[in-house]
Amino acid sequence: MKRIGCQCASEQEWSRRDFVKVGSLGFLGMHLSQSLLLEQALAARTGNTPGGKAKSVIVIWLEGGPSQKDTFDPKPSSAFRPISTNVPGIQVSELLPQLAKRMDKLSIIRSMRSFGDDHPQATHYAATGHELNPAMKFPSWGSIVGKELGPTNALPPYVFVPSWDNKKQYEDYFRSAFLGPDYDPMMIPDPAKDGFEVADLSLPKSLAPAAMSERMEFQKVIDRMYRSRVESLEHAAMDSFTQKAWEMILAPEVRHAFDLSQESEKTKDTYGRDTVGLSLLLSRRLVESGVRFVTAAGYHGNSWDTHSKNDTGHRDRLCPPLDKSLSTLIDDLVDRGLYDSTVVVAMGEFGRTPEHNPALGRDHWPNCWSILLGGGGIQGGRVVGASDERGAYIADRRVMVGDLFATVYKALGIDWTKEYMTPIGRPLKIANSIDDTTGEPVHELF
Amino acid sequence: MNDIRIRQFLASAAVWSFVGLGHASSAELVSIELLPSSRTLSGADATQRLLVVGRYTDGRERDVTSSAHWSVSDPQILALDADAILSGRSDGEAEVRATVEEKQSTARFRVSDSAKKRPFSFAREIGGVLTRRGCNGASCHGGVKGKNGFKLSDNAEHPHEDYEWIVKGGVYQVLSSESGGPRTPRIDKDNPENSLLLLKPTMQVVHGGGIRFEKGSNDYKKILEWVRAGAPYGEEQTADTRLTGLSIEPELLLLKPSETHRLLVTGRQANGVEEDLTADVFYELEDTDIAEVSDSGVVRAKHPGEVTVLVRAAGRMSGFQIGVIGPEPDQYPEVAPTNFIDDHIFSKLRKFNIIPSEPSSDAEFLRRVCLDVTGTLPPPARVREFLSDNDPRKRDKLIDILLDSPEYVDYWTYRFSDFLRVAIFALGNNSKWSQDYWEWIRASIAENKPYDQVARERIAAQGYSGPSRHFLPIAVIGPPPDTMMEETRVFMGRRFDCARCHDHPYENWTQNQFWGLTAFFGHVFRTGTSGRDSVIFDYPMGKQIAPDVVGARELRILHPRTGEEMPPTLLDGTVLTHKNQKSVRQELAEWMTAHPYFAEAAVNRIWSLFLPRGIVDPVDDFRSTNPATHPELLQALAEDFAANGYDLKRLIRLIVSSKTYQLSSMTNETNRADRTNYSHALPRPLDAEVLLDAISTVTGVPAMFTAYGPGAPRGESQMPLGTKAIQLRETDLFKSLFLDIYGRPNRAAVPERNTKPNLKQALHVLVGSTFNETLWNEGARVYDLYESGASDNKIIEELYLAALTRYPTAAEFRDLKGLIAKAASREEGLRHLQWGLLSSREFAENH
Repeated sequence: MKRIGCQCASEQEWSRRDFVKVGSLGFLGMHLSQSLLLEQALAARTGNTPGGKAKSVIVIWLEGGPSQKDTFDPKPSSAFRPISTNVPGIQVSELLPQLAKRMDKLSIIRSMRSFGDDHPQATHYAATGHELNPAMKFPSWGSIVGKELGPTNALPPYVFVPSWDNKKQYEDYFRSAFLGPDYDPMMIPDPAKDGFEVADLSLPKSLAPAAMSERMEFQKVIDRMYRSRVESLEHAAMDSFTQKAWEMILAPEVRHAFDLSQESEKTKDTYGRDTVGLSLLLSRRLVESGVRFVTAAGYHGNSWDTHSKNDTGHRDRLCPPLDKSLSTLIDDLVDRGLYDSTVVVAMGEFGRTPEHNPALGRDHWPNCWSILLGGGGIQGGRVVGASDERGAYIADRRVMVGDLFATVYKALGIDWTKEYMTPIGRPLKIANSIDDTTGEPVHELF
Repeated sequence: MNDIRIRQFLASAAVWSFVGLGHASSAELVSIELLPSSRTLSGADATQRLLVVGRYTDGRERDVTSSAHWSVSDPQILALDADAILSGRSDGEAEVRATVEEKQSTARFRVSDSAKKRPFSFAREIGGVLTRRGCNGASCHGGVKGKNGFKLSDNAEHPHEDYEWIVKGGVYQVLSSESGGPRTPRIDKDNPENSLLLLKPTMQVVHGGGIRFEKGSNDYKKILEWVRAGAPYGEEQTADTRLTGLSIEPELLLLKPSETHRLLVTGRQANGVEEDLTADVFYELEDTDIAEVSDSGVVRAKHPGEVTVLVRAAGRMSGFQIGVIGPEPDQYPEVAPTNFIDDHIFSKLRKFNIIPSEPSSDAEFLRRVCLDVTGTLPPPARVREFLSDNDPRKRDKLIDILLDSPEYVDYWTYRFSDFLRVAIFALGNNSKWSQDYWEWIRASIAENKPYDQVARERIAAQGYSGPSRHFLPIAVIGPPPDTMMEETRVFMGRRFDCARCHDHPYENWTQNQFWGLTAFFGHVFRTGTSGRDSVIFDYPMGKQIAPDVVGARELRILHPRTGEEMPPTLLDGTVLTHKNQKSVRQELAEWMTAHPYFAEAAVNRIWSLFLPRGIVDPVDDFRSTNPATHPELLQALAEDFAANGYDLKRLIRLIVSSKTYQLSSMTNETNRADRTNYSHALPRPLDAEVLLDAISTVTGVPAMFTAYGPGAPRGESQMPLGTKAIQLRETDLFKSLFLDIYGRPNRAAVPERNTKPNLKQALHVLVGSTFNETLWNEGARVYDLYESGASDNKIIEELYLAALTRYPTAAEFRDLKGLIAKAASREEGLRHLQWGLLSSREFAENH
């Protein structure tokens, strides 16, 4: 059944409540021709969505929250001096020399605003666009992109690498909530660890494909009586998943996508052989294979959470791998002709305090922070928004997380004004900005 | 040797005995009832529709209004028209008598103020049109933000706001009482016909909502005359004249396809005045394939099924159900009830002509009840013992044994830990806190603590106590509205979420109620920063926290629209002032657990853990648009639960000893499509933790649980070998690919388990470690049997008893032995056999 309703253009999931509406309108005698006209109007609107060059997204997750002043929004009060980039007028911190040479490919938003003073709240907000709420789970934007664009082949549409070893509770914020397990991210272990292998994608060594079919015979005999007695739609569902799983196990492209041994030693060296570098390399392989959304979270363990020794942390431990691996990723995507179809975003859950604390660290700061993005039709070489002199508050053009989502959705050709209907009948914006408004794409980036 | 056992398995414990039924056409009228039985018609225009319901020998009721003969005791007072609509002529009292096939029923009516014209009221008259025509429904202009720039209140519940919008125009803003921007009046007093309020609904200009009424119709004229008269607001609605009730008769309609039935919709004002609103409401159906309702309240049945009808009157909303029943079977079984659950379930099945499945076999029952009560499969020895036991009371005895078992404590601690959220305590993973909280749950289960006490202890938790740790989920006190929403969702089964920002669009919940309840949690505070020294307490009312206190925050709960402080206010509007002895939360806890919602929500939740769905489903989403399938059963269970000290074990015993619970999962022609009436057991995939434990039990290879951090007791990272998944305090703390794939709920929010099959499960079954690395280990079940020289028959039988709680059939013995013989080696064949069992749906489901 189709919704033919009062003209809410960007519409929602079909839910039980939609039937209420359709039912009532049918009852009131809306004519078929009218409903067709409305439907056409709806189709025209979504079809007209501008942007839409991009096919995939890679988010480099800077867990813990980088210091905006020491990275993308240099200030005189930072310990690090600003350096020029290959775009006149744009400067970044001296800790990012390689990225500076690729500034024409990337833009900076210096006026991000989010909510949550601590990691759980802020991470949830950055991943879903909503504040944490014990009464409800929200889908992450990766799941939303996965759902809107769908898979391209046997690979899942949304992948997260690497999965957490600790702080498992964050994982939930990157999941699909009521969208269902099809849109949960596939969680991949740390590619930098010895013996890296993605679970459940290949036959155990002891088992040949022929033995596997023998096993299926046993299962058939055992389930014969039960399945004849009990009818369940889930049996058919499980059978079709088994069929698909079997294809995946036997399909070379799936294992190929995860197989880092296909990459030259030189490539691994340029990305960096650490978790940050190899996660990005794997992201490139996945995007190349048709995955829609990859969160590359090599900086697990709140790496960027520099409550003490912020400056040495940024200088020695945090910025060099980012500078190196992200620069390599951009070159690699450009070389392979993928940059125009891949949005790349480097972001954390918030920024850091403009002043040092007594431990020479910087604390959490959601009030004004910076992110880096480009590719997939999002213009490089631009700066959006500005912080004040201290790098503390927004001086110009606030950008909410929901506006960022809308920007990326627009690049992907997704109607960012769309709303989903949750199972309890609450409408949910896929790009949720502040005060219950819909996020707006950052038009300066198109 | 196996033949006897096979027969034992196949023969059900008892089979319904069927009795032939007379055909429906022979049903005879037993009695009639004229509705309403009495009423006052007040005012010059008052009318009342009449309805005559006939009761027949087949147990059904039919609308016989149109075949009734009427007599009015005093035609000077009452007049009755051809459509059985009554109106008053002069003040006084008179009787109306209906006669159908010599059966009679009378009703008494009083006529008052028959010469007095009712003063105009915008709320009633114009609000009535807007409601009746569906203009102010939640999906149209009654939506939170209205539609296309025009906002009306849901069901005209805020007539002053509607008046403002229509007469002056408005701009909607969320979370703000002020509106800005240009205003467009929806009426034109100079050219009344040009009013948008008339042009739009008649489609004289484009209207997304289509035609709501025709030009020249009564509703059109009503609005036109109102505009011509200068669009007055008219009579002010007072607390007295506000609609406080909306009743629909009959409450449950059972019809056969193509039958019709009149409805009676009665509005009741706070002052007790009742009026007939049957033709003045909007009927909204979720599925018009099952039935339709005309504007004047006549239901026409179409196809079998059940449908909820929402009835929306100006100022109030209610709902009722229509059931359209299938064809009458030739014969119907006599099913003797075990307890009142069966009375309710079987009588509804009978009404709907659905024949329940037969009682489960002993093997089916044993597996089901063990999984449902203890989350554990019975070992082969117990299966043999139970199946061969001839005691007619063996099922009841088994239930008692299970309720007293240690597994019961494990399993119900695990189940409670889910919905009471024993969550990972972030920011330093303070596992001590969750340990204390979990131990409190475990102790409560072990001593079978009354459920209302459990609820009170949590809602009002203070100090260092276990349940107080619930208020420290992320080391800071959560926002009070979130806490309120969680407590009401868990303990009252209601979701107030929508009312946070605006009155609830589908329910009668208001934003004031939301913030009034929230205020009970406004003063929850903590001292200390970490570890055990964090004390939960309520900051004294009326005091503010000094700004230099760690975590200082605004304690007052401010209404987001008015900006004014909300005092703690119960749903019924009672404002609580602080008393010396008790905390406001203690008072809230007492009010909440005494409220009828509490027991209702509790029994519904427990019920859903044993039967395919909640009587209201989802279990924590009670609302008029999501009605109970068996409201009387729900009420009976709730009353029984409350009357017996909220005794959980007693409730479980009541449910699992009912015939309803013990029905087979094998369906018949009449109940195959049934998903809501409990006419048969419906297979459900096992929860991830239970399935993992079952695999360990069958293979004899225990799962290892290694914590990501110090998750195990005493800070160890490894649980003792043999620990079951249902014994883990927080499964999230432990590495387990299996639990990841099969869905352990993260408890950051009230968890909703999804046990539906998915691709990752299919992959894991085919090639994953759980299903492949457990098949041939020293000390494992099959390995040991093989080493001891057991025959194929013996091994197959042992595995079947362990995994499926039944003996294999002769055909299964034969075919499996054949397959083992064909395998590359006997060992290989036995591994395949185990894999086949573990991957079967019969194993993975509770049925």
